[in-house]
Amino acid sequence: MMFMTRRLLALAGVLVVSSFLVFAAMYAAPGSPENFLVQGRTVSPDVLAAIREQYSLDDPFFVRFWNWLTNVLQGDFGQSLANRQEVGDLLANRLPTTLMLVLLAAIVIVVLGVGLGIGAGVRDGIVDKVVLLGSNLGFAVPTFFAALLLMSIFSVGLGWFPVFGSGTGLLDRIWHLTLPALALALPSAAVVARITRTAIREERDSEHSVMASARGVPAMLVLRRHVIRNSMLPVSTIVGVHIAGLIAGSFVVEYAFTLDGLGTLLVGAVQRKDFAVVQAIAIILVAAFGIINLLVDVLYAAIDPRVGTRRSK
Amino acid sequence: MGPLGSIAVGFVALVVLGALLAPIIAPYDPTIGSVTQRYQGPSMAHLLGTDQAGRDIFSRLLWGARSSLTGPLIVVVITAVFGTTLALTSVWWGGIVDSFMSRVLDLLFAFPNLLLAMLAIAVFGPSLTTAALALSIAYIPYTARVIRSTAMRERNLPYTRSPQLQGISGVTITTRHLLPNVAPLIVTGATINFGFAMIELAALSFLGLGVQPPQADWGLMVSNGQQSLLKGYPAESVLAGLCIVLTVAALGYIGERLGGRAAAGRKA
Amino acid sequence: MLDIRGLNLAIAGEHSSRQILNNVSITVDSGEAVGLVGESGSGKSMTLRSILRTEPRNARVTGSITLDGIDVLALRGEPLRLMRARDVSMIAQNPHAVLNPVLPIRQYLVEGMHDAQGLSVRSARLRAGELLEQVGIDHVDRVLGSYPHQLSGGMLQRVVIAGAIAGRPRLMLADEPTTALDVTTQAEVMAILDDCRRELGMAMLFVTHDLDLAAAICDRINVMKDGVVVETGAPEQLRDDPQHHYTRELMDSRPAGVIWTRTAGGAE
Repeated sequence: MMFMTRRLLALAGVLVVSSFLVFAAMYAAPGSPENFLVQGRTVSPDVLAAIREQYSLDDPFFVRFWNWLTNVLQGDFGQSLANRQEVGDLLANRLPTTLMLVLLAAIVIVVLGVGLGIGAGVRDGIVDKVVLLGSNLGFAVPTFFAALLLMSIFSVGLGWFPVFGSGTGLLDRIWHLTLPALALALPSAAVVARITRTAIREERDSEHSVMASARGVPAMLVLRRHVIRNSMLPVSTIVGVHIAGLIAGSFVVEYAFTLDGLGTLLVGAVQRKDFAVVQAIAIILVAAFGIINLLVDVLYAAIDPRVGTRRSK
Repeated sequence: MGPLGSIAVGFVALVVLGALLAPIIAPYDPTIGSVTQRYQGPSMAHLLGTDQAGRDIFSRLLWGARSSLTGPLIVVVITAVFGTTLALTSVWWGGIVDSFMSRVLDLLFAFPNLLLAMLAIAVFGPSLTTAALALSIAYIPYTARVIRSTAMRERNLPYTRSPQLQGISGVTITTRHLLPNVAPLIVTGATINFGFAMIELAALSFLGLGVQPPQADWGLMVSNGQQSLLKGYPAESVLAGLCIVLTVAALGYIGERLGGRAAAGRKA
Repeated sequence: MLDIRGLNLAIAGEHSSRQILNNVSITVDSGEAVGLVGESGSGKSMTLRSILRTEPRNARVTGSITLDGIDVLALRGEPLRLMRARDVSMIAQNPHAVLNPVLPIRQYLVEGMHDAQGLSVRSARLRAGELLEQVGIDHVDRVLGSYPHQLSGGMLQRVVIAGAIAGRPRLMLADEPTTALDVTTQAEVMAILDDCRRELGMAMLFVTHDLDLAAAICDRINVMKDGVVVETGAPEQLRDDPQHHYTRELMDSRPAGVIWTRTAGGAE
């Protein structure tokens, strides 16, 4: 419990400091926001002043940061300069797609990565060789390249999946997001598969597994209770790191499949210097990244009895 | 290294050579095409055919190797220099310096790499330099973490302690004794980080936030070729993508042989 | 009862194979305690592992091992499993490695009795407590609920002994069972092991590097060097009239005044 509280406090600290840094960076950015707003048209100084007034651009830095931070804590992320919408509304519209994409990709990593890794770990010979080769190449495939290949083969070529868009309704959404999720998960699944394989092999040769066999425990039970179960300890950490990593990877895949997720919103906002949107997404992503990493550590402490006591000492 | 290792080293050498000699051996200007030459198949005139703007794909791949390699090179050099310096400084001084550095690194760890790069690009505008510099900052904690823990072990061994007792300065000890001991780690880490940087920079170019058209770059070519690919002309995207995959796989294999991901400070 | 004849074991390397055991012949009669003494690396542990067929995957075993006339080297699948579960048990050097770190002690014992030997879970749980009392453990319930990392090596080795006598096997294999333990608990654990064995009338093949220790508890001793049994005899005979010069060396190299020495040597 102490551990949880400490970690949550640390996360909150990181969030405040990083939002300050992000805010400061945007503040210091060359070029003034109102110029983007008027998009090069000549307007009278009065109009510019009105705009600066409306968006409180003339307040001192710390006042603006404080206002922004307190608003964010109340769920108000401000207004997008580019399309004059509430940032909160924009995010709310985009969030489901990204969440679903990351969730599906996480499932792919667990099922495909861990599954194939276990398969390759417990079997010698051809299965092992194929998985090993696949994972050696797979981790080197950029997600956007995987996206294009999958799209051209399964959507354009075979027509099994839609080419673009996120779909409506749950099943339609899953159908639209299957290829993106595969593309997003592929490199991670490859790495996870290889690490799982190694972990399984180490556990197979571990003395407690060998001795369990030597005590006459049936082979299937040794495999399940000693080999697979124990190898999941290191694997769970790796899977967690990769699921956290999906958050950033999802931008690229969303862009490749033109999905209406947070990633495409961020890319657009970066190109247009729509700082309110960039700040909001950055903070949300840092928070999500931190929470996933925290959850992984909690989960790890729950499945490994050695961790809890070590920490409490 | 074994046969696979030799192939990997050979392939990387070939790519580097292609990038260096691009101005000499590339048959065409990579940025200029001709509308009448669109979507040509492979021929003696165009070894790998042409793209949707009638540009020679082979020439573009050669020139593309340049930006695709310089970007990651910038990243790993900066990462190695700053990561090592930070790690050795904090190990040598210890105490407050060390815990302050740890906090800073933790803060950097809180940002996904690509996000950090995109924030920098939002501020400074899209370019390869911005992207590479931002990624360097994102990678520094990985390198610093590994080197710090190794150097910390070495720091407490007698061979670094006794010169200290003899009154030799910290800088001398660090550069003469600690640095050589972490050098292999730096090299292995750089090899593996190079692959990661190549993929992430290519991704940024793919998003239109890195290398800008009409310049040739592998990530940009994959993105440029997207429409052609969907229309049934896969050459540009697929060849550029394969270049990335093979280079990264080769570097990954070499890095793995040299010492593995752990040396790059990557958990995964 | 146990009859090892002309046992050879070679481990296949990448280019050549390494001979570990060379024409080893050892017999153990019912209820008899037989020692196998030699330096680490002499092949003692590998001999034990061959009896349970847990030699490394790349090992090639020839010769014969019979247990009451049954050819152990020909056993596969279920018959092999039943032999391991019922007839022969093993106590290894390092109990911390033998017990699965993420399972509580209770499950270790129940697993042996229920999953391996076929007792019902209920009776296995009941018997687990009795067994622990039998090996001199006081707070039975607390120990049963503990995880291996919470117990000392001596305590764990008692748990392993409890597991090893649970099925009342005819033969117990002990591989340096006290070497990895704290000096203060070595004698205690050894006494418990010896008592249990005598009480249940089990035969034992006892592997150690310590000739004195073997002499104290064994009826007969085999001296092994470099994978070859160089001499066999009763303890007194080896002490008073060693035939092989290596036996003499072992006798002479004993540290005076110390009965059981602790070495830092790892598993063989």
